[in-house]
Amino acid sequence: MNKAVFWVDQILRRTLMVLMASIVLVVCWQVLSRFVLGEPSSMTEEIARTLLLWIGMLGAAFAYRTGQHLGLDILTRKMSPLWQHRVALVLTAMVVMFALAAMVVGGGQLVLLTYQLDQMSAALGIRISWIYLALPLSGLLIAFYGLCQLCCLWQKIELTPAEDC
Amino acid sequence: SKPQEVVTLRMAHTLDQEHVVHKAMVKMAERMAFYSDGSMKIQIYSGGQLGSERELIELLQIGSLALTKVSAAPLEGFVPVMKVFSLPYVFRDSAHLWAVLDGAVGQDLLAALEPVRLKGLGYYDAGARSFYTTAKALHSPADLAGQKFRVPNSQTSVEMVQALGGAATPVDWGELYTALQQGVVDGAENNPPSFYLSRHYELSKYYVLDEHSMVPDMILMSQHIWNQLTPEQQGWLEQAMADSVVYQKTLWQQASDDALSKVKAHGVEVIYPDKTAFIQAVQPMLQAQQGTAVGDLVNKIMAVQVAPVAVPANIPAETTPVATPVTKTTTPTTSALTGGSDE
Amino acid sequence: MELSALILLVVFFALLMLNVPISFCIGLATLATMLLSMDLLPALTTLAQRMAGGLNSFALLAIPFFVLSGLLMGRGGIAKRLIECAMALVGALPGGLALVNVMSCMLFGAISGSAVAATSAIGSFMLPEMKKQGYDTSYSAAVTAAAATTGMLIPPSNIMIVYAIASGGVSIAALFVAGYFPGILLGIALMIVCAGYAKVKGYPTGARLPLKLVAQKVAAAIPSLFMIFLVIGGIISGAFTATEAGAIAVVYSFILAVVVYREVKVSELGNILLKSTETTAIVLALIATSAAMSWILSYENIPQTVSQGLLTLSDNPILILLLINIILLIVGAFMDMTPAVLIFTPIFLPVAVELGMSPLHFGIMMILNLSIGLVSPPVGSVLFVACAIAKVRLEQLLKPLLPMYAAMFVVLMLVTYIPAISEWLPSVFGL
Ligand code: NA
Ligand code: NA
Repeated sequence: MNKAVFWVDQILRRTLMVLMASIVLVVCWQVLSRFVLGEPSSMTEEIARTLLLWIGMLGAAFAYRTGQHLGLDILTRKMSPLWQHRVALVLTAMVVMFALAAMVVGGGQLVLLTYQLDQMSAALGIRISWIYLALPLSGLLIAFYGLCQLCCLWQKIELTPAEDC
Repeated sequence: SKPQEVVTLRMAHTLDQEHVVHKAMVKMAERMAFYSDGSMKIQIYSGGQLGSERELIELLQIGSLALTKVSAAPLEGFVPVMKVFSLPYVFRDSAHLWAVLDGAVGQDLLAALEPVRLKGLGYYDAGARSFYTTAKALHSPADLAGQKFRVPNSQTSVEMVQALGGAATPVDWGELYTALQQGVVDGAENNPPSFYLSRHYELSKYYVLDEHSMVPDMILMSQHIWNQLTPEQQGWLEQAMADSVVYQKTLWQQASDDALSKVKAHGVEVIYPDKTAFIQAVQPMLQAQQGTAVGDLVNKIMAVQVAPVAVPANIPAETTPVATPVTKTTTPTTSALTGGSDE
Repeated sequence: MELSALILLVVFFALLMLNVPISFCIGLATLATMLLSMDLLPALTTLAQRMAGGLNSFALLAIPFFVLSGLLMGRGGIAKRLIECAMALVGALPGGLALVNVMSCMLFGAISGSAVAATSAIGSFMLPEMKKQGYDTSYSAAVTAAAATTGMLIPPSNIMIVYAIASGGVSIAALFVAGYFPGILLGIALMIVCAGYAKVKGYPTGARLPLKLVAQKVAAAIPSLFMIFLVIGGIISGAFTATEAGAIAVVYSFILAVVVYREVKVSELGNILLKSTETTAIVLALIATSAAMSWILSYENIPQTVSQGLLTLSDNPILILLLINIILLIVGAFMDMTPAVLIFTPIFLPVAVELGMSPLHFGIMMILNLSIGLVSPPVGSVLFVACAIAKVRLEQLLKPLLPMYAAMFVVLMLVTYIPAISEWLPSVFGL
């Protein structure tokens, strides 16, 4: 399991780096094309918004992996280790449930709907479903990490932490 | 007499409550309550509370929203032939537009929505879109050269501005005020009420009524929710819709005239250019559509003749309206205030 | 209606107490509420669509850009030089760095329309520096968060444009000018709090430096300071929008950090990109699920019902204005600014106008009020960004924020009951 997690981590990191670098380049190109070339590009805005959704969604999965999402541990901090363990099981299950329900099923349904009904984006002329694909993909990743976490909790072992960045 | 529960239909749009199109929807809700004797209710969500126009259409497909008012422009992404409305100078004037919308072509386009799970209930007037500029007066397409115009995020709008010789920059409608102020763009285009209500006239010196496109608004319903209604309920809804259309057209004309006189009072110079050169400049763009479904539709639309309005014989000729500048012949439309045809 | 509001609150707080990440709490509470009025599949699909919709905004791009340029500035020696310069100038005042922080946020607010962007940009390089000087990180984050809200009032401000449109008749130019005084007033109030806090906590006050050294420090910071001219100049001259300025800032700080100062190696860039993605994503996840929650609130008419109920309580103008402010503070606690403005302007503006308030004055009051909401829990985008950058928990921020809430509330009361604060400057310009 640790090996699988490691490879998923690697792929996700690389993808996010590329997405982030692209979004900067795209918006710089938008300024350049208008300012220097005099002919503004009509597609950069939509590309940038699409990249933002992908960064937001895939990044959310990565932030979940590295345990960066904000929570409120006023109550759980005061619990006994046994109860903390039980609560951790429940909350991890909650996250997995949300990822599977809203992101994989809901987002997947959205991708399916926009694919079947052929909805096209305004500027790029690509299928909207490609844009929405970020949701189910991110949901799968979160569910994957969450399930690994659940396994480890169940066996009372530590999941290898993500490489420090 | 009606022990059953009240059926509530949720209707969302992106305009604010001051907009005449919102008032027409309120009228529709009133008529709906009247016809159904209170057994059905339309609840209106204004101001884009429930999403942008593209997203509202999606919510109808999903089935979590019953009704919406959107500009025909974003429908292009769902039904490609809707592109015809965004093409420049397809309609000669308002009378021609309405002859088309009320005729076979208009009905066919409503029917074209069915395969994508939408029920088209009808059209609202949204006038004609024209350019406004912060510094330079435009009298012919040659004057657009070197000027940057904001367009909605659509390929057709970009092509149109380019065909006329200008540079097109897609900017979010909500960010347009500052973009005009800072000179990110030199101008934009919209119908008179949106030009007025968006307060872009505060930053504009000229409003050039070239009336390049007429993009109607459409009232859409979720096919899924429509199918759940009884034929009787569907009939009420169609009647309420028809009533609101009549009301909306009158309101629109007033709002459009009002908007023009208010921007003039504010010091905006309204220019009535000769449209011939504009029309010629976009011909290559229209030609390029030939052989496609959109091209066929353009041909059909061009072929539609407007039945002459019967003037009662006993009215003396002098009282019939004299042919006035271009403005009067075309009708205004609206697209939208906050989101309108823009996204 | 009542049932859906109850479900929303119960599910949200129950999960929150279980230490479920807040974005997931918001998402699950939204889902539970949706299920009351929709079937499962449309509810899930709608939820997914609203999350994507919440991120579908060009203005939000400022977040990754200013996070990234902030990281580059922080690691690339730019921030270091800026801070040394600021310390040389005002470090001798009590709570020097905290004051610099507030001023930087105001300055940043004067070039950007988004408080979230200010938080990420200023916070990313001020927080590590303040930490080095011995400031408590959660306090520094609280200062940044509170100060960042001044940018909502100091123009340009995207929310003012939203309000102008929702109010259907207020001039944007007038609103922009009207925002200066309340924005600066808010900044001053926060600085007073910071100075007082520094006295109590005994935060370091730097020694007065000899003039020659001050000049040296300022000169060393000039290439960094030039970024402000590049960004402001670019926006004012119309070369690019405030959002695009973010990308330009990234490029400029990249050039300084990697090429000029050579404090960042090319091999480190991958990690910097990844780090900025992570911080950005935490915020975006919250914005996405908050957008969905705002949507279901509107869908169930919860905001309208609540406010109408409260307004039947009194007919005294002073009391009603206070009541409106309290309602808006509660709304701001749970809701994002844009939907709150769009939903509550049509409801409260007619009431305010009836009481003799001008729509301009009401707009400034509402924007100031909802700015407090940006830093109030449980839902506050600025608060979330500050936590993410400072790596502190939400509740750690609340204690140092308390005196700042008080200062903000005092300014809110002044702005509410003294129309001249908002209306004088526009009247001078004849707006
Ligand atoms: Na600002
Ligand atoms: Na809040």
